[in-house]
Amino acid sequence: MEILLLKAALLFYLLSTVAFTLTLLSSQTVPRPLASTLLFVAFAAHAGAIAARSLAAGYIAVIDSYEALSFFACLMTGVCLLAQMRASVAILGAVVSPLGFVLTLGAFVFYTQTRDLPPALHSAWLPVHVILAFLGNAVFGVAFSASLVYLVQERQLKGKKGRSFFRRLPSLETLDNLNYRILSWGFALLTLGILSGAVWAEYAWGHFWIWEPRPVLSLLTWVLYALLLHYRTAGWRGRRAAALTIACFAILVGSFLGVKLLFPGRHGGEFG
Amino acid sequence: MEVSLASSVTNLLLIGLNHHSAPVEVREQLAFSNGTLEPALRRLVDAETIREGAILSTCNRVEVIACTSNLDAADEKIKTLLAEERQVARSLFEKHLYRHIGKDAVNHLFRVAASLDSMMVGEPQILGQVKDAYAASSALGTLGVVLHRCFHKSFSVAKRVRSETRVAAKAVSISSAAVDLARSIFDHLGDKTAMVIGAGEMGEQTVRHLQSNGIGTVLVTNRTFHRAVDLARQCNGTVVPFEQWHRHLRLADVVIGSAGSIDYLLVPTVVEEVLRERKRRPMFFIDLGVPRNFDPRLNDLDNVFLYDIDDLEQVIEDHKGEREREAAKAEAIVTEEVEAFWSWLASMEATPMIVALREKAEAIRKRELEKTLATLRDLPPHAHKAIEALSAAITNKLLHPPMLYLKNSSKNGESQESADAEVVRRIFGLDEEDE
Repeated sequence: MEILLLKAALLFYLLSTVAFTLTLLSSQTVPRPLASTLLFVAFAAHAGAIAARSLAAGYIAVIDSYEALSFFACLMTGVCLLAQMRASVAILGAVVSPLGFVLTLGAFVFYTQTRDLPPALHSAWLPVHVILAFLGNAVFGVAFSASLVYLVQERQLKGKKGRSFFRRLPSLETLDNLNYRILSWGFALLTLGILSGAVWAEYAWGHFWIWEPRPVLSLLTWVLYALLLHYRTAGWRGRRAAALTIACFAILVGSFLGVKLLFPGRHGGEFG
Repeated sequence: MEVSLASSVTNLLLIGLNHHSAPVEVREQLAFSNGTLEPALRRLVDAETIREGAILSTCNRVEVIACTSNLDAADEKIKTLLAEERQVARSLFEKHLYRHIGKDAVNHLFRVAASLDSMMVGEPQILGQVKDAYAASSALGTLGVVLHRCFHKSFSVAKRVRSETRVAAKAVSISSAAVDLARSIFDHLGDKTAMVIGAGEMGEQTVRHLQSNGIGTVLVTNRTFHRAVDLARQCNGTVVPFEQWHRHLRLADVVIGSAGSIDYLLVPTVVEEVLRERKRRPMFFIDLGVPRNFDPRLNDLDNVFLYDIDDLEQVIEDHKGEREREAAKAEAIVTEEVEAFWSWLASMEATPMIVALREKAEAIRKRELEKTLATLRDLPPHAHKAIEALSAAITNKLLHPPMLYLKNSSKNGESQESADAEVVRRIFGLDEEDE
């Protein structure tokens, strides 16, 4: 069941990527609702796959590399769909769809059978901590997408190219405002994620803080985003803010993958 | 009889200056505002030199067209009139004037009405301005059968050019491209402010377009205050005195430059300062000026987007080759219509009945004028002039319908023409000797 749903999700990520690409290439806006619908189906299938696995395992399945990547991709798609409901930024799907496809495909490569949860992770804090932390990262992923679209639109406008293209993208102000709002949400979630981790660590190991790559890099990411938000509030907007958002997300993804692949530590148990 | 016929041969003279021939400072000094046009028009037309006349005054041009049988005297009169009515030294504007005679004058008027002589070729406002000029002189009776026809022809030429070529479509698409760009930069236009610098037609067109798309506030500034007031009234805007517009710049999200200026009105250092005050909220500069109003380097600043006319043309994917083809088509239409008008004028001159009618009216007018003025020796000279203009206006207005009637009847075959001529001859008593 899980595998079937995951394959369906992959297929629909691919289809919505194609649909969004066609939207961008063609002059009409007709395929966009279709593209968003395809992305929604991908999300639903993906969420179903995760739910199926979690039910089978008896715990929230966000422990090993496969699960983490998959969970992250699914949440990011969900946040993107939510953002679309609030603002006319459906075109974010043009970034999120291929991203979702690649991440899910990557997760597929690391696919593992479910195992018993290591005793260290037996805690009510597990779902709280992972959902908050991953949701924060997923929100940053959408901020990254908005910034990417911002930079493309900004280049179009500065370069004074034909209007057929820039008319299909949201306005700079829409993207910039969305970016700011999303970053605030992401930052709040990341903060809560780190705090919940600290509280959990206190319960589990007796320390609020462990000097390990994972939490240290999370703290670094937190500081970076704090600085970004600070400068935004102080009046940094537009291209510079978008470029920084992209840089921060690149660091976030880099540290996430780096830690997973290079420094398996106590955090996350033996799954690394 | 021979002598009077020769001297009454109608010719057309057009004297004026525009954005090609004169800098904005000169144009603005010479431009007529509301209220100053009427006295000038009254003074323009008299029995001696200028039989019919009209004045077209916009912020890009001041032109006087006259129907005369004495070109040199008319030329001299127009220049004196411009200098005195606008209280400007002749030396200031004389070197910027162009002078078109006969067919060339007609050609020029047609090109102006069709917006082929505009700063932004194809912009639609100019036709309305030509119509206003026509209405003003028509109301004062300074038009006769020739200029009435000439103006009406210019309107239909403009209509033909608009419907048969794509020249006009461009100006509209330029301003809608500007609005599209604004929408690609800004989320809502409702809470945004646009500032228009200068009162050029394209600036007006663009700000109106922004307004119909819901821009929140419009600020207008112009070197000549009353023109800013006019434009502000038309688009519900607020006037900013020209000396202070820099201080209000930080309020503006969209800045439209359509001023005639030799130097850049804005350079990057100034805008950089404004951006800091605005907390780097984006600014969209639309440069419609020729030469440019804004330093092109503004576009290098973060959160600043600068589009000039050339960029906007590029955006609407308007190709130069196509534009030239359309312009050539429009010019061909103008040439064709000028020829048609000119042959009409020539044939009218050749209609003996029309000549006779005009001469009779002229003779009566002169005689009655002399009689009246002889009894009014105490009147100041300007009152004499006014009475003279009044008499010319009345004659023109009275003669217009019968002349048109005669003119049209010549199209309906020779027998009809001679029958009609007979009627007019009897009605106006053209065979009788004047008492």
